[in-house]
Amino acid sequence: MSFPITLAFVPQGHFTQPYLALPCLKAWLQEAGFADVEQRDLSIEAYDHFLSPDYLRRAKERVRERLPLNAFEGRKSLPLGELRAFRSAAESEVSADAVIADVEGAKAIMRGEDFYDVDRYVPAVRTLYHGLRLVSAAHYPSELTPHNFTMGYANDRSEEVLAATLDEDQNPFIEFYREKVLPGLLARKPRLFGLSVVYGSQLIPALTLGRMVKEALPDCHVTAGGGFLAYIGEKLMGATGVEECLDSMIFHEGEAPMGELAEALRAWDEAGQADLSAIGSLTWFKHTDVGCETVANAPAHPVALNAAPPPDFDGLPFDLYFAPEVVLPYDINRGCYYGECSFCTLPTVIGPGYRTRSAETIASHLTDLRDRHGVRHFSFITDCMPPGMIRDLPEALIEAQSGIPAEERMKWWCDARIEPRAYTKEGAKRLHESGCRKLLFGFESATPRLLKLMRKAQSPRSVSEVARNCSEAGISVTLYAMVGFPSETAEEARATLDFIREHKDVVREVSLQTFHIDEVALTYRDPEQFNIKILDGAGTDLQLYHDYLSEQGMTQQEAAEMFDEMMNALRADLPIFSGDNIYYFMQKSHYFLHLARGTTPDEFVAQCQQRTEAHQAREAAGLLRANASRTSATLPFSHVAAANTLAHPLARAARPDFLTGRFVADAQAVAEEQLEPLPPQECVLVYDEVGHEFVELSRDGLRVLEAIERAGNVDNLLQSLNSTNPGARTRLTEYITQLHRKGLITSFQPATAVPSSFTEPHELTSL
Amino acid sequence: MDEKRKDQEQAEAPTQEQSTSKASEETLDVEALDLTIETVEDRINPSETNVFDK
Repeated sequence: MSFPITLAFVPQGHFTQPYLALPCLKAWLQEAGFADVEQRDLSIEAYDHFLSPDYLRRAKERVRERLPLNAFEGRKSLPLGELRAFRSAAESEVSADAVIADVEGAKAIMRGEDFYDVDRYVPAVRTLYHGLRLVSAAHYPSELTPHNFTMGYANDRSEEVLAATLDEDQNPFIEFYREKVLPGLLARKPRLFGLSVVYGSQLIPALTLGRMVKEALPDCHVTAGGGFLAYIGEKLMGATGVEECLDSMIFHEGEAPMGELAEALRAWDEAGQADLSAIGSLTWFKHTDVGCETVANAPAHPVALNAAPPPDFDGLPFDLYFAPEVVLPYDINRGCYYGECSFCTLPTVIGPGYRTRSAETIASHLTDLRDRHGVRHFSFITDCMPPGMIRDLPEALIEAQSGIPAEERMKWWCDARIEPRAYTKEGAKRLHESGCRKLLFGFESATPRLLKLMRKAQSPRSVSEVARNCSEAGISVTLYAMVGFPSETAEEARATLDFIREHKDVVREVSLQTFHIDEVALTYRDPEQFNIKILDGAGTDLQLYHDYLSEQGMTQQEAAEMFDEMMNALRADLPIFSGDNIYYFMQKSHYFLHLARGTTPDEFVAQCQQRTEAHQAREAAGLLRANASRTSATLPFSHVAAANTLAHPLARAARPDFLTGRFVADAQAVAEEQLEPLPPQECVLVYDEVGHEFVELSRDGLRVLEAIERAGNVDNLLQSLNSTNPGARTRLTEYITQLHRKGLITSFQPATAVPSSFTEPHELTSL
Repeated sequence: MDEKRKDQEQAEAPTQEQSTSKASEETLDVEALDLTIETVEDRINPSETNVFDK
């Protein structure tokens, strides 16, 4: 009897590469005898669909209907609560047409050889970002970015989460599922449908799809699992109304429970009876004559990883990801061999215990995946590699690829723990030889007192040594750093920043994060140990994260402000963080792909530095004219002021929290009280349709651009000036230089012979 | 894209004769102009820095 299974990774995950959960499940189910397993990455499918000219055209019309820009005219002030709407309306007004025209080209750049040309890459990334802003504006107040999806509904209240699954005005995925997903599912009629929910940003999209599938296919069993549900699943399964979206939920590793669930459903179909209560780690809804009961089964045994099949990526749309080469995730181990860090709650996600595949198995799997899919690059999904693996894996990979030229061998990156005895000069050299191009170390802090409190068992000196050894071997080093750990002072946070700056010759990227307390963390369970007092929650039924008061050190608010201070300093000091180069960091594997192609970290950093310096020092020279490829709109309030207010830590605190999508209690009221409403300020928002950037000018600035246009070029305008004041000429010249740097003035070549004065164009700065 | 900018830069330029006459249509009082120019340097949100975890 056929038993079709469909697995779906729901929006939103990042768009550069596939995720690992579904390929692991598919491989396991197929080995268990379920041959008909379909996997869909609906996150990348949705990004691809939303970032298409047709969809964006409709989004543009929706924005004009829902957020008309003229609604802000005549207002005496603009409070915080309306700034996002204003910004969305203004940006959509000037950018929509150019984004619609260029979005397919931008995706093609991401997926092709032009990806490696920074002058094409940066405008293309901006186009995608601005396309997503248009999609978001069309569903305001929802917000879809490359990194997150939030709605006006709180993720920590089941009532709101469930309401969001029905709100087509704000939930862009309802229409997407109806048009792009359900028709295929109706034809296929899966008997078991699995939703992968790794992040908080996937919760509403997952339940939305679960509801729609259950309505369309009443005989299909809808289950869900994944990292985020490991945290809140128990609460979610106890909430009224969730049974309309799901039939069951799987906790921790999904392979064995999913296999047993499929067996049970097949037995039901064949024999009319099945026992779901024996399936480990499954929580399910038992429907009786009197209602619906939630049943939580006992935990399943962890998977023996070395005996598990390699992930099966068949059916995933490799050509849709926004990267020229797909980087495949692969699980070399599960759990953490160290497992002591006091802030870490990852065992909650994967389940207890540490398991690993052998180095030989890993090498064999990777070469198989390389040959099967024609890929060359991998990211190892691991908390860290134990010292033995750091020694053995390079040997196995080198041996498995003997005879293959170095440049054609597989390249990889992964997270790592500071292990000075393993990341020696020789060890790092062997890692590089085996294809390792980037390692991301849990550094967290440069203060020994805090490292002890975190139970990291590492010293700043060992971080320095390991980072230097890896860097000298040609491996790019990224540090994870934390700001706001309980009791951390501002001085201690600055010491972390100073450490990074002192090592900027070997540390290329920093993943800086603010500290959070969730309900499974040691900091929550034993707050006295950290001298903190956990604040009562907002009484929300899906609450996971808690605010706290610390008896010493920075408050949460001060830590948020310190984050900005540190990030601003990093942007000034780290070349990959400077200017537009930050896009390489922000798009997950994009920097790695340059490394995998043969660019060394030193070379890449030098390119970034050169580009930033050249941009800052760019002088306007040659024949210059106004960039005609621009769209502008006169605004009643400043777009820049709105954006800056929205970026204030208080305003950001009022937005849904990243990890959970919760709205922090009172944050909106506090922000409204402390952040002044914007006063009216007429200005002109210009969209450079070539560079895909927003620039704000005064009305006079636009007049200058128009005057240059009428004059034909900058020289003509300057020659026509009546003013005899050299200061005025200098002032205008300096302004034109700024317009040039912003892309609103461009150089050009004369097409025909011109008078001699035009063949020796002025250097503007010397006028 | 920047290719577009290059195309634009290579496009035919107006002649001096055509343009100086137009330039005189409006005279700029440069000293009185408000010449502010700003772009948004989008601040990096803590939510968007754990790109390797997501």
